[in-house]
Amino acid sequence: MQVSNMKTISQTSPVAHAQLKSNAKWALVNGINTAVEFGSAEVEQARKKILGVTDVSCLSRYGVKGAQAAKWLAERQVTTPANPNSWSVSDQNTLVLRLGGSEFVLEDQFAGSTCARLASDTNRVPNVYKVPRADAAFILSGSEVLNMLSELCSLDLREKSLGAEEVIMTQIAGISAIVLRQDLNGEQVYRIWCDGTYGPYLWDVMVEIAVELGGGAVGLACYQS
Amino acid sequence: MKLLTCPMNGTRPLSEFIFGGEYREGPDQNTCTDAEWAAFVHNRSGAPGDKKEWWYHSPSGTWFIAERNTLTDKVSRTYLLGANNNNSNTAQEASK
Repeated sequence: MQVSNMKTISQTSPVAHAQLKSNAKWALVNGINTAVEFGSAEVEQARKKILGVTDVSCLSRYGVKGAQAAKWLAERQVTTPANPNSWSVSDQNTLVLRLGGSEFVLEDQFAGSTCARLASDTNRVPNVYKVPRADAAFILSGSEVLNMLSELCSLDLREKSLGAEEVIMTQIAGISAIVLRQDLNGEQVYRIWCDGTYGPYLWDVMVEIAVELGGGAVGLACYQS
Repeated sequence: MKLLTCPMNGTRPLSEFIFGGEYREGPDQNTCTDAEWAAFVHNRSGAPGDKKEWWYHSPSGTWFIAERNTLTDKVSRTYLLGANNNNSNTAQEASK
């Protein structure tokens, strides 16, 4: 990992502390030092098919809540999910999660810019409150992902139980997390967000189980192409 | 596993919840006597029976009311606190 000095301070993924021992290749993504490769492309693709754990904390996020939050987002051309605890895609590149009735988390995917656009709007509006986000975020992929989640979570997260547009706020490995299921590049993956300070812990737990099941850590580069 | 139903998130393991104490409506502080106010502040009824309680679903940050019989540990209803709230869950199999 790059050594920072006073002139080149850059943010580091909240999960980085747990990844330092893995000899990963690091790169700046969205201005955040992120592990982009944990092995050769062949090794990572093989892990990804069985059980891959990827740190995507570097993706830009924006949180907003309040009685007028949905209206405020609609005025800024952000399509929001109609139902509580559901998610949708806005502008093709931004995940919009509706947490409960009146709180939203937006996450730009690799080419998205909605979060930066919203963050630049500093006008204060009654009943609209910005929620600072400091999440650790993960993508779980592969055929064994449900076996891992059954060890970590007491809810049934299989396809027939977790709807395609459903967001679940529950505990994963004992910590509060947001979970959803997504088709990403034709592949079914699970997305997990938790408080960034728990990121290294959750990474260690998930990678340990992934290795037991034949998978392992997968770098962000697998999803950038 | 004990279960409780959050009115926003559905039925979850009790480990996801935090007990927030009994919900009690206080006397009108503008009209009540000092004795009534002191009784509200200092006195609690420990007798078992049907109680309204605050519960907190920690993964989502949702506070809600559960009506629970503290003798049988059966929850009859959970709902968000609010004048026009119809989002209640009744007849739960909670606290099995």
